Amino acid sequence: MFKHICKLVWNRKRINFLITLEIFISFLVVFSVIVLAVYYADNYRQPLGFDYQNVWNIRVEIVQKSGAAEKEERPQQIERYRRVLAAVREFGEVESAAGATYTPYMNGNWSNCNTQTTCYWGNAVTDDYKDVMRINIVRGRWFGKEDDGASYKPVIINRQLAREMYGDEDPIGKPLNPRDKMKPGDKEDDKYVEERIVGLLNDFRKNGEFAEMKGYAMFRNSLSLPDDRPPRALAVRVQPGTTATFEEKLLKRLQAEARDWSFTIKPLAQMREEMNQRSTTPMTAFSLVAGFLMVMVGLGLIGVLWQSVTQRMKEIGLRRAKGATRQRIYNQILGELLIITTCGALVGVLVVVQFPLLGVLGFATPKVYAYSIVISLALIYALTAICGLYPSWLATKVQPADALHYE
Amino acid sequence: MGDIGSTRSLPLPVPYQNRVLMLKNYLKIAFKVFLRRKFFTFISLFAISFTLVVLMVAAAFLDHTFAPHAPENKQDRTLGVFFMEMKSPNDDSTWNGTAGYGFLDRYVRTLPNVERVSIFSEPDLIHSYQNGEKIPAYIKRTDGAFWQILEFNFLEGVPFTETDDKNANAVAVINEATRKKFFGSDTAVGKTIEADGQNFRVVGVVANVPFLRQIPFSDIWVPISTIKNDSYKKELMGNFIGLIQARSAADFPAIQDEFKARLPQVEFPDPKEWSKLRGTPETYFNSIAREFFGGNKDHSKTYGGKLWAAIILAMLLFMLLPTVNLININVSRIMERASEIGVRKASGASSWALVGQFIVENVILTLFGGVIGFIISRFVLRVITESGWFPYAEFQMNYRIFLYGLFLAVLFGLLSGVYPAWKMSRLNPVQALKGASR
Repeated sequence: MFKHICKLVWNRKRINFLITLEIFISFLVVFSVIVLAVYYADNYRQPLGFDYQNVWNIRVEIVQKSGAAEKEERPQQIERYRRVLAAVREFGEVESAAGATYTPYMNGNWSNCNTQTTCYWGNAVTDDYKDVMRINIVRGRWFGKEDDGASYKPVIINRQLAREMYGDEDPIGKPLNPRDKMKPGDKEDDKYVEERIVGLLNDFRKNGEFAEMKGYAMFRNSLSLPDDRPPRALAVRVQPGTTATFEEKLLKRLQAEARDWSFTIKPLAQMREEMNQRSTTPMTAFSLVAGFLMVMVGLGLIGVLWQSVTQRMKEIGLRRAKGATRQRIYNQILGELLIITTCGALVGVLVVVQFPLLGVLGFATPKVYAYSIVISLALIYALTAICGLYPSWLATKVQPADALHYE
Repeated sequence: MGDIGSTRSLPLPVPYQNRVLMLKNYLKIAFKVFLRRKFFTFISLFAISFTLVVLMVAAAFLDHTFAPHAPENKQDRTLGVFFMEMKSPNDDSTWNGTAGYGFLDRYVRTLPNVERVSIFSEPDLIHSYQNGEKIPAYIKRTDGAFWQILEFNFLEGVPFTETDDKNANAVAVINEATRKKFFGSDTAVGKTIEADGQNFRVVGVVANVPFLRQIPFSDIWVPISTIKNDSYKKELMGNFIGLIQARSAADFPAIQDEFKARLPQVEFPDPKEWSKLRGTPETYFNSIAREFFGGNKDHSKTYGGKLWAAIILAMLLFMLLPTVNLININVSRIMERASEIGVRKASGASSWALVGQFIVENVILTLFGGVIGFIISRFVLRVITESGWFPYAEFQMNYRIFLYGLFLAVLFGLLSGVYPAWKMSRLNPVQALKGASR
C-alpha cells in the first residue's frame, strides 16, 4: 500500500514538487514564529526574583562633569543623594526606599565582561534594595555592616552566573573576578580588588518576564566609599493604594532637595507593561501575518487537491470499479498528501537544524529548539490534514460508472 | 497564418487597433475564466490582496519614518551627527552614544560652507501635574536654528529664537496635543506651563509631529540654555544631535571630509581617559542602517545601501510563499483550459502568443487583487493610526505607496504567471483537444 502510494506521488512529481516546496516554506514560516513563542513562553515561566507591585521608580538625572572634575564633585553629589533618600523616607506613604543603578524594567543595561569568558548584567544597589524589591537570598547573605571597610567588594549573583563561573560548586566566598582569568590588561593592574560572592539569588530578571536568561550580579553601593557614584535611580516601595497625588507631592519635595537634578516618577507596574509590550507587540504582528499566510496556504492547498481529484476521476473510478472501498480511496488521497507533507517538512527540519550549527538563532536553547520543531511539525500536519479532508471526501463520491464513461 | 494574438512575430507597422482588440479579447476571456470558477478566483484574490496588504503597510511604515514629510522638508540637503564613538587610548573602553553639546558647538557649528547648523537634545520623557493629574510629555531642548531648518506648521504664535536661547529665556513651543492637555480648547500663547520643575511661557503651538520622526519629534520644545546645570556645555559625548543644512546634497562629501579632518584636533579634558572620537555626519536613514548593522564600527562606510538590500530581500522572501501558492493554483488549473488551448493551437496560435495571454490574464488578476489590497491597506493603516501605538502617527497612502503597490502587483503577477503560462503553452494540441490529463 505504502509503496503504491509513493509510486502514485512520484508519477505526478511536477505538481507534487510544487506542493512540497510550498509545505517546506510554510514549515519555515511556522517554525520562525513558534520558536519565538516557545522562547518567550519558556522565559515567562521562570521566576522573576522580585516583587514589582507598589514599587515606584524615580529616575534621577544628575548632570555630571567628566574626568577629574567629576571625581572632585562626587562626595558632594553622594551627600546630596543621601539627603534625597532621607527625604523620601520621611513620607508616611513610603515603606522603604533604596538607590540602584537600574531598577527592574528600566531601559539600558550595564553589561560586564571582566573575565575572558563570562559576561553578565550588573547593578549597584544600596542595602535597602532587598526590602524594596523583596529579594529572596537562597544561599549566603545580603549586604550588611560586615562589608564596611572590607578588603573585598561584596557581590551577590544569580544561579545562572554561578553556574557559568563555578559549575556545581558552591560559589559563596569565591571571587567573581578570579585574577588568573582576567583579561591581560587588568591582570597586572595593581589596583585589583577581589569581588567576593557573598550571596546567591534564584534569579533577578531586570528586563522582565520575557527577557533572556543571563548572568546577573549585584554590587553594593554603600554611598560612602570613594568609588561609589550616586545611583541613577531610586526604588521606592509605597503603601498599597497610593495615588498620583502623592507622586506630585513627592516630586515637589525631591526638586526642593536637589534643584539642578531631574526626577521622573513611574510605577514599576506601568514600566513592566511597556517593556513587555515590546516583546508581545512584534510577536502578535508576526503571528497575525503568519496566521494569514497559513490560511492562504490552506485555501490554496484545498484548491490544488480539489483540482487534482477532478482530474483523476478516471483513475479513481477505475479503482472503485475494481472493488476498492470508499475508505481505501479516502486513505489513498490522504496518504498521498501525508507523504508529500512529510517530504516538505523533512527538508524543513533538515534546514532548521542547521541554524544552531551556523550560530543563527543563538538565543534558543536546544530544548526550546526541539519543542519548537515538534510543535511546528504538528501544526503543519494538522493544516494539511484539514485541507485534505474535503478533497478526499469528494474523491469517495466518484461513481465508477460516471468516471468510466468520461471520455 | 491566422495570427490572432501573436505579440512577437508581427512586423513593426502593426495596425494599432489590432493590439487593442487583442488585449480586449484577453480581458474578456480573463473575466469569463474568473467567473467560471468563483472559488478559485476567491483563493487567488485572497492570496494576492493579503500579500499586497502586508507589503503596502510595511511600505507605509517606512515612508512614514524616512520619507521627506513636513517639517523635514529640506531632508534632501540635511545631514545629522547622530551616533558617535569615543575610545580610550588603548582602546579597551568604548563609549557609544549621541554627541555632547560641547563637541557639537565647538567643532560642528563652526563647519565652513554650510547654510545652518542646529543642535538639539534627544526627546526626554517628563511628567507634569495639573490639578492632581499626571501629564506625561516629551521635552526637547533646541537652539534657534532648529526652527529654521525644520519647517513646523505653527497653529499659534511663533518659534523661539537664537536670542531666547542665548539669554536662557524660559519660553516653550508646545504641540497641539499638549495644548489640549494643559488648556483644553483655549489658546495657549502667553500662558505658563510647568515642566520638569520649571515654568515656561508658551510662545508657539505647532501641529503634532509623529513619534517615529525622531529628529523633529517632541511635545514640548524649550531652549537648550534652560538646562538646570551648565556642565553640558563641555561634554564631548552626551545626549545631543547636530543637524547640518547644506546648500545642496552635492556638498555632502566636502562636509563629511571636513568633519573627519576635525576629529583628530578635538581637545580632550582628560586624554588618559578618553582620547579618540569617531563619527560621520549622515542622513537619518544611513544612521539607522549603521545602528542596524553592528553599530559604529566602520565610519569610512555608509550602510544605507545594505539596509535597502535587506529590505528588498525581506520583501522578496515574504513574497516567496504567496508566489509558490499562486503558481500551484495556476498549474493545477491548466487542464481546465485544455480544450481552449487545443483550439487555439490547432488554429495556429504560437506558444508565445499563449504565454503572453496567460501572463496578461494573471497580471489582470493581481491588479484586481491589488485594488482590493489597497482598500484593505487603507483600513489597516487607519486602525494602526487610531490605536495610538505610535504617538501622533498618521499612516497614510500617498502616490509613492500607490506606485509601489502597483509595481508589486505587476511583479507578483509576472512571478506567479510565467511558469504556469509556459507549462500551458507546451500542451500538445492533440492531447489538449482530447482533454488528456498529465
